[in-house]
Amino acid sequence: MSASPAEREELSQILTAAGHGDQGAFTELYRRTSSKLFGVCLRMLRDRGEAEDVLQEIYTTVWRRAESFDPARASAITWLVTLGRNKAIDRLRQHREAPVAAPSIALDLVDGQPTPAANAERSQERQRLERCLDALEPRHKAAVRAAFFSGATYNELAAHCSVPLATMKSWIRRSLIRLRTCLES
Amino acid sequence: MNTPTDHDRDDLRYAEYVLGVLDAEARAAVEREVRDDPQAAAAVALWQRHLLPLSEDIPAVAPADYVWARLQSELGLTRDIPTPAPTRRRLWDNLPLWRWLGIGASVLAAACLVMLFTAPRPAPTAISAGYMVSSIQQDNGVAGWTATMDIQHARMVVVPATPAAIASNRSPELWLIPPGGKPMALGVIARDKPTTVRLRPDLLANLSAKALLAVSVEPLGGSPTGQPTGPVVAKGAISGT
Repeated sequence: MSASPAEREELSQILTAAGHGDQGAFTELYRRTSSKLFGVCLRMLRDRGEAEDVLQEIYTTVWRRAESFDPARASAITWLVTLGRNKAIDRLRQHREAPVAAPSIALDLVDGQPTPAANAERSQERQRLERCLDALEPRHKAAVRAAFFSGATYNELAAHCSVPLATMKSWIRRSLIRLRTCLES
Repeated sequence: MNTPTDHDRDDLRYAEYVLGVLDAEARAAVEREVRDDPQAAAAVALWQRHLLPLSEDIPAVAPADYVWARLQSELGLTRDIPTPAPTRRRLWDNLPLWRWLGIGASVLAAACLVMLFTAPRPAPTAISAGYMVSSIQQDNGVAGWTATMDIQHARMVVVPATPAAIASNRSPELWLIPPGGKPMALGVIARDKPTTVRLRPDLLANLSAKALLAVSVEPLGGSPTGQPTGPVVAKGAISGT
């Protein structure tokens, strides 16, 4: 997502061509994006086999044009990561009897403070989002990050943070409203 | 009729959907709205632009080679994953070589069939002979092994063609990859002589023209995890005879 505008444009064309049955473009799309998407799937599912299954679903969807990519609405990588997150969350929700393992949320609650060097590599959008996240209460920011990276439900997040469900909902909803105001200002 | 409060409440729900905190039912409701209502779709897309930059924090992790092999098999793709090396490209595009290899692999497969037919065996109980073959091609396009599966006797004979050199402290291991499934271990195979593999019922059940055979490079004696841990060096589709 920190790619140059030219690279974004190129990836957008590759994704469009891949969705129209161009095998060369599809192969190139996989080469350029599979590691990023696999990282996202692995982070949410915490299981290599499940992450591989979801990765396969993502590219199968792209190839069969089950969902159409609109370059005017999102960048190619945003669209692909969104597709991947949605498929990963669907899979998480299927295992109702086995909610997201607590360690996964715990990890998301503590990690993620990037080094200054890593911060410099972030896209403008990412840096702006970070400024808005920094304006939140630290534990609210941690809850938003944990929610995003784990794909956990309100119930799971509340249970893990040992706060009532209503409290967790209020933390995240207030954070989202503040983020919107900050990002759209 | 939508009041401003409804609008705010919907927008918050779309934000929660993008963040990923909604349960399955609430997610399905948002997805229906996105399909049916352009305003909902635009609001969700805006939240995606707002929140998705967070995913930049997630490190990229290269998936195993067999994931691409599975995709190729499922989607019926003929292209291999491209590498920029120009020499390989030329070899890849060499049609006469491909034809020659194809014939070579078929001859080998036929030889395996003869071997199986001439081996002493009890009178056939099934009407169908039930053989399947696979030419397991390496990345350079050369057949590494040829596998012939004798369904009736639940065994597979894997004959080396011209397998590329592998470090002496590594073993080539054969895998059956069902469409959309995880690789199933068929065991370590020899590089210099035929290997006979017993096909357990769970393996037999997954043998089909949609499945794939693949060879990965593993520590001596085979993968310690039951799943491929090293690079895939050869793969081939399965066909009936």
